[in-house]
Amino acid sequence: MPVRHIAAGPAPARQGSAPPGAEGPALEVRQLTKVYPNGVRAVAGVDFTVDGGEVFGLLGPNGAGKSTTIGMLTTAVTPTSGTAYVAGHDVVTEPLAARAASSVVFQDSVLDRAMTGRRNIRLHAQLWGVPSTSAARRTAELADAFGLDALLDRPVDTYSGGERRRLEIARALVSEPRVLFLDEPTVGLDTRIRYELLDLIGRLRSRSAMTTVLTTHYLDEAERLCDRIAVVHQGRIVALDSPAALLARLGPEVLELRGSRDHQGALALLRARGLADGAAFSVGTTLTVPLAGSAREAADTLAALGDGASSFTTRRPTLDDVYLQLTGSSLTGD
Amino acid sequence: MTTLTLPLVRPAPTVGPRPLAAWAALTRRRIALSAHTPREVLAPLVTPILFALVIAPALARLIPTSGPGGVDYSSYVIIGTIGLLIPLSCTFAGIGVIVDRTAGARRELIAAPVPRSLIVLGNLAVALLTSLLQVAALLLAGWARGARLDVTAAGFGWFAAAVLAFTVFMYGVSEILANRIPTQEEYVGLTPVVAILPWFLAGSLFPVTAMPAGLAAVARALPTTHALALLRYGLLDPNGHGLHDIWGVGDTATAAGLSLLVLTAWATVLTALSLRTFRRSAVT
Repeated sequence: MPVRHIAAGPAPARQGSAPPGAEGPALEVRQLTKVYPNGVRAVAGVDFTVDGGEVFGLLGPNGAGKSTTIGMLTTAVTPTSGTAYVAGHDVVTEPLAARAASSVVFQDSVLDRAMTGRRNIRLHAQLWGVPSTSAARRTAELADAFGLDALLDRPVDTYSGGERRRLEIARALVSEPRVLFLDEPTVGLDTRIRYELLDLIGRLRSRSAMTTVLTTHYLDEAERLCDRIAVVHQGRIVALDSPAALLARLGPEVLELRGSRDHQGALALLRARGLADGAAFSVGTTLTVPLAGSAREAADTLAALGDGASSFTTRRPTLDDVYLQLTGSSLTGD
Repeated sequence: MTTLTLPLVRPAPTVGPRPLAAWAALTRRRIALSAHTPREVLAPLVTPILFALVIAPALARLIPTSGPGGVDYSSYVIIGTIGLLIPLSCTFAGIGVIVDRTAGARRELIAAPVPRSLIVLGNLAVALLTSLLQVAALLLAGWARGARLDVTAAGFGWFAAAVLAFTVFMYGVSEILANRIPTQEEYVGLTPVVAILPWFLAGSLFPVTAMPAGLAAVARALPTTHALALLRYGLLDPNGHGLHDIWGVGDTATAAGLSLLVLTAWATVLTALSLRTFRRSAVT
């Protein structure tokens, strides 16, 4: 899979003054690679830089290498080659300092279920060296902010899935990390809880100078929360940009053609008439074409083609389209 | 493709907790978890207490002659059951390690800015504490049932050293198995082999010299044999018959020192291996 576009540039400028202690990149990753002993190349030389205060998304399907990348940044996975710095600390040579500057919310619930929520938070504070008075104050603030007041003194066993997730995020924040890693934070949650959690994560942005790295395979999550998104495919970053810039790659409108017998022919015709722009891509029997001309004219052209296409529609592009274009079968129409 | 490398400004050093504070936090955590699962503490006691209160006195009635060194057989077996209690206790502690890995907070602990060996050492501290409490309970039960112990300060020192070294050794074995065996079911299935089989060979119910020569040679290499000989030397048999059965040297203190050295060496090696196994299982 060729790299279509990598812009490992800085984050878009954010409003307000730079957060204290956030000079320099919060994360700097160069040619980071992980090859497991069984020969699987999970991460194949990724490069990116994340600024202080930025919300950065690693977007890709299961097995793309997102969690392995997070594992290397949190020192649970040893890189095969390359370098990674968390808050200026090399994850290989200064793992304790790198871990001290960060917190992780894992994909699965990682809590002592027999203990209360408060006890789980207190343990995190103790292990991250937060003085007990500060830990108590922050716990109270976070419990209030996350709606955990009534739950904190109950055993975690009695929490719902969404409550556990909120507790885990609160726990991660009690040490005021410079970098918060959220590994697929909404997987397995029902829709309502998922949206509540997204709202909560979104609110973190406005109340903190913390850098957040979010992995997800939900494109709407990435679009809603992230300043920039790295699209990861087969261990490589195939695109890195702001959601708006990624969407702009497909133009204002795309045409979606379903059931056509001849994708190449349809695309060639649209191209010949100057109606198709950018890279078209197909998934299954669906061809998606970024449009250069009018949607009406494209529709008329395809109707005239009469190749048995069952339906075609035009719509605004989504991040799904960007993702599929980057990771699916591309067509030239030549 | 644009590549931009921003200047890397080194932040102020980020500090985690002091190792001792982190170890104390991890130990308190394990105590809290054990308190929530009393079976971890109580279940290993059941069989040894049964031996001490029922089986040992019954065997003593069947075998009216005294045990080696003139000690009464019931007391001989009661001290011998410590060699069963500690392995069972440590094996149960290993289940906690598996639960941590499969459904607990292990990954959170691994992500913490503390040396990962402290996670194992925190668990070990609680295994030691649990074993000491269980041994005290067993001795109390044995004493109530009429065990005749010969307690001196020096003897208690040997006894305590043997309990500590043997527990550290057995916890090392349990930690290694808990990190290498994928499921709790498989782990529990190994308990008879790890905790019970060596006990039968180690002079728990009869002196190792009563076994065929080949088995006796195997028994002399087992840490459990050295532990039991030291435990009896400490609280029951100042002449150290069990130690002489192992070493065949004239001086009892020398034999005791050698057995403690063997036990300490096993404990050190197994602890080092358990730390290595944990680190390897924690980091891919």
